[in-house]
Amino acid sequence: MDLLLPALLGGLMLSVKLILIIVPLVTLFEVLRYLPVFRRAGNVVEPMMRGVGLTRDAAIPLFTGIFLGIAYGAGIIIRVAQQKGLPARELFLMGLFLATCHSVVEDILIFIVIGGNGPAILVVRLGLAVFLTGLMSRVWKPA
Amino acid sequence: MGEHGTGAAAGEPVPDIPTRIRTGLSAGLKTSIKIIKVSVPLYVAVTLLKGTPVLDLLGKVFAPVMGIFGLPGEAAFAFVAAFLLNLYAAIAVLAPLHLTPFQVTQCGLMMGVAHNLVVEGGVLSTTGARGGVLTLCRLVIACIAGLLLRGLWSLWETAAFRAMALPGLS
Repeated sequence: MDLLLPALLGGLMLSVKLILIIVPLVTLFEVLRYLPVFRRAGNVVEPMMRGVGLTRDAAIPLFTGIFLGIAYGAGIIIRVAQQKGLPARELFLMGLFLATCHSVVEDILIFIVIGGNGPAILVVRLGLAVFLTGLMSRVWKPA
Repeated sequence: MGEHGTGAAAGEPVPDIPTRIRTGLSAGLKTSIKIIKVSVPLYVAVTLLKGTPVLDLLGKVFAPVMGIFGLPGEAAFAFVAAFLLNLYAAIAVLAPLHLTPFQVTQCGLMMGVAHNLVVEGGVLSTTGARGGVLTLCRLVIACIAGLLLRGLWSLWETAAFRAMALPGLS
């Protein structure tokens, strides 16, 4: 029983943290998404994304996930998936990319702190993410 | 061409700023609740598991596998902590082990790919992707990444050793 209370308290803290990060993030996204800058940024990343089988519809959730991580990125991923109706194939490819390479800033910093080689971690994760997603996008052809 | 924009679709009317803020707040809250409903029960379950011998047992099971990735057996406990909890729990286990720079990097790489699997697997499912399949992928990818880094690191060390040895030979 004395374990249940801290667990529930931790769960409450997690909820507060998720709300505090996801709500402002989604609000910011809603306010900014009509700006032409977004479309131009989409034009820039589109050729890169095509290489791993993704369209620019997935750009915002992908980059949110790469920098912020899966839990916080999911706020944007769910929102965009609803708005754009991302197909199952694209959701899977994006999930695969993010599974390998997400939350790169925080994850790598904490291992640099205890003596790890940050660039080596980043290079292998990013390289593997691009390779695997690119490979799967060729195995699973678009319908 | 423009119809696939990440921003507004071509014919979509642009709402005013207060409307967008209201849309954002309510959508953000709805999404948060959706994620909380999945992740908090999982978080509580895993935290309760921490009080049982399950983690110790899993660590003992995985210890012999660690050598494949150039890691000591004790690192298995850190991996169990990373898989079920998060990287901070893993680091708390790793810190007293006095690992080499390669071993820390290896842990950072493999755990970076596969951590907090229970909660994040739940979150991935709520996005509509297959959470279970992706979680399995993360474990497999972590192993591939670990083998890759071990190979690359020894190549790098051999090259660095040769580069240092050459001037001495001439």
